[in-house]
Amino acid sequence: MKLQFKLALYNTLTKVAIITMLGILILVSINRISVNHIQRRLLQKKARLVTNLSSIEINDLLTQKIYTDYNLLREEYIILKEIKKSEKPIKQKFSRELRSIEGNQDEFQILMSDFTYGGKNYRLELGETMSTLAQLERTISMFTFGILVAAVILTLITDLAFTQFLLAPFYQIIDQKLNKVNDPINFNYQPVKTTTEDFRILDRSISVLMNKIATLFLTEKEFIANVSHELLTPISVLNTRLENLLNDEQLTQEGENKLFASLKTLNRLKAIINSLLLISKVENNQYSKPDLISVKHTVEEVYEELEHRLLMMKLKINIDLPEDHSFRGNKSLFHTLLMNLINNAIKYNIPSGNVNIYSEETAGAYMLVIADTGIGMDAELVQDAFIRFEKLQSEKEDSHGLGLAIVRSIAAFHDLQIDIRSKKGQGTQVYISFPA
Amino acid sequence: MNILIVEDEKNLGLEMADFLGKEGYTIEHAWKKASAEEKIFVNSYDFILLDLGLPGGDGFELLHQLKKMPGREDAVIILTARGEVDDRIKGLEAGADDYLAKPFSLTELLARMHAIIRRKHKLERNEVNVHDFILDIKNHQVSFEGKRVNLTNKEFEIFNYLVLNKNRVISRVNLTEHVWGDILEVNSDSNFVDVHVKNLRKKLTAYATINWFETVRSIGYRINF
Repeated sequence: MKLQFKLALYNTLTKVAIITMLGILILVSINRISVNHIQRRLLQKKARLVTNLSSIEINDLLTQKIYTDYNLLREEYIILKEIKKSEKPIKQKFSRELRSIEGNQDEFQILMSDFTYGGKNYRLELGETMSTLAQLERTISMFTFGILVAAVILTLITDLAFTQFLLAPFYQIIDQKLNKVNDPINFNYQPVKTTTEDFRILDRSISVLMNKIATLFLTEKEFIANVSHELLTPISVLNTRLENLLNDEQLTQEGENKLFASLKTLNRLKAIINSLLLISKVENNQYSKPDLISVKHTVEEVYEELEHRLLMMKLKINIDLPEDHSFRGNKSLFHTLLMNLINNAIKYNIPSGNVNIYSEETAGAYMLVIADTGIGMDAELVQDAFIRFEKLQSEKEDSHGLGLAIVRSIAAFHDLQIDIRSKKGQGTQVYISFPA
Repeated sequence: MNILIVEDEKNLGLEMADFLGKEGYTIEHAWKKASAEEKIFVNSYDFILLDLGLPGGDGFELLHQLKKMPGREDAVIILTARGEVDDRIKGLEAGADDYLAKPFSLTELLARMHAIIRRKHKLERNEVNVHDFILDIKNHQVSFEGKRVNLTNKEFEIFNYLVLNKNRVISRVNLTEHVWGDILEVNSDSNFVDVHVKNLRKKLTAYATINWFETVRSIGYRINF
């Protein structure tokens, strides 16, 4: 989940929690306060009633059983009863009970109080309905809920907008300074515009880091150039010296053979150095991707170059590419990749075998398959196939164990996925998947 | 023909001189940029074999200086360990006639020099007699008593290279590199060239016996005349 959404979610949840708690608190307090108010009103009424009491009124109340006349909505009632001496007098008591007044059952806050008038004991019961309070509570809870929902929505929107604004420089740093950087040499050191100190620190740290990487990168480039020069020059000297020796007319046949063998070894050394340099340059992104490459066309080019080798081994090649695929990359590197793979398919084949090159379209992705009917490899060999200097078929003297390492580097450079499937004695299939 | 070898690696310079001297060229050496400048300023050469990394400066600078001098027709072949495409382009655009990445073969160098000579002097006669065959370098053709021998480009290149290096054994690796360039530097397989040589011999044998076209066991080939 994005930081922006996490922050918004956190804010929303905390606000929901706070507002819910406050709402509950308000509801509880309102209930208490209202009950308190009703009780106080009842006490006041009782005091007024008792002070203004006359024998006529008492009789009135006693005969009427329940007096509710003065309130249309039957929100209050008064009951006066005469109590016997044997009954235990109640000084004053509040209770909350259900009462049925003129056919309407309701919950009432009731004040019961005994008093003596004219030598007789009376019990006065004053009741006030709780339904208004319940209504009030409902209204308040609805209102609170409404505010809660509105607050949550509003908070979510404002939080998202604000965090988006706040985190914009952060995403800019991630996108432009980390994701899109392939070549540290061409890093953009222009600081991202922001007033947030933390992002400034992050931006500065990345720039410092990139600077270090770029320096290392340049050092490595220089090192590679130096190595190539330092190693290739003495090889050159040896090469020319041996060739000069070959021109000596007094050279014996044996001497000549030995010199040619030495030249061959030297050539192998040269091939190894060149291969390592190639891998290193590809892995350091020292190549650009200026070409729109057609897979079909490249396969045909490689085929033309290797045709005579196929004839030599009496191999049959079947190229079946009904669909072509184009992608942006480095033509000569991709050529080298296919050259290596197809060359392997030829080199490790059996006489009069087959090489099949075909395409597959799976889940929208284009896949090129190079399959041979060759000697194949064991599972563990397949696993180690891409490791540098891992000689898979040591009986081939001109293999220096770098061909597949080169293939892997070039594939990674072009975001291609390479899979090798093989069984001993049953040939090898190489799958190259191209990103859609 | 006189050649200036600008090469700081003395051993390499001397070996090149040894080989080219036997071919009949007159050789001068410059081991540093400064001495090379001096020599270029005083003399003109048929060939300048120029190394790029030199004590005291870059070979490109020398090339620029040379190209600024009016009336100079010295052919320049750049020799360097820097085999990058960019460097090649830079060198050729600066006016070099050819470019060879180290380590190179002396016979390859000789072939390139011959090609430059033919181009520069627009040689009228580009035909070499190889026993009863005639090798027409300009038109990439081989004929026998006026009849054209039908060779592919690669077969012609092989024949041409062997003829150019007559009486000298040319190894398969060397021949492969000359004809195909370094496309096979990876996974190089020198038997590659055998099929072509076999076809070439077959085509030539159809016209005459070619015992002068030797296969040197396990090494390579040689044409004697």
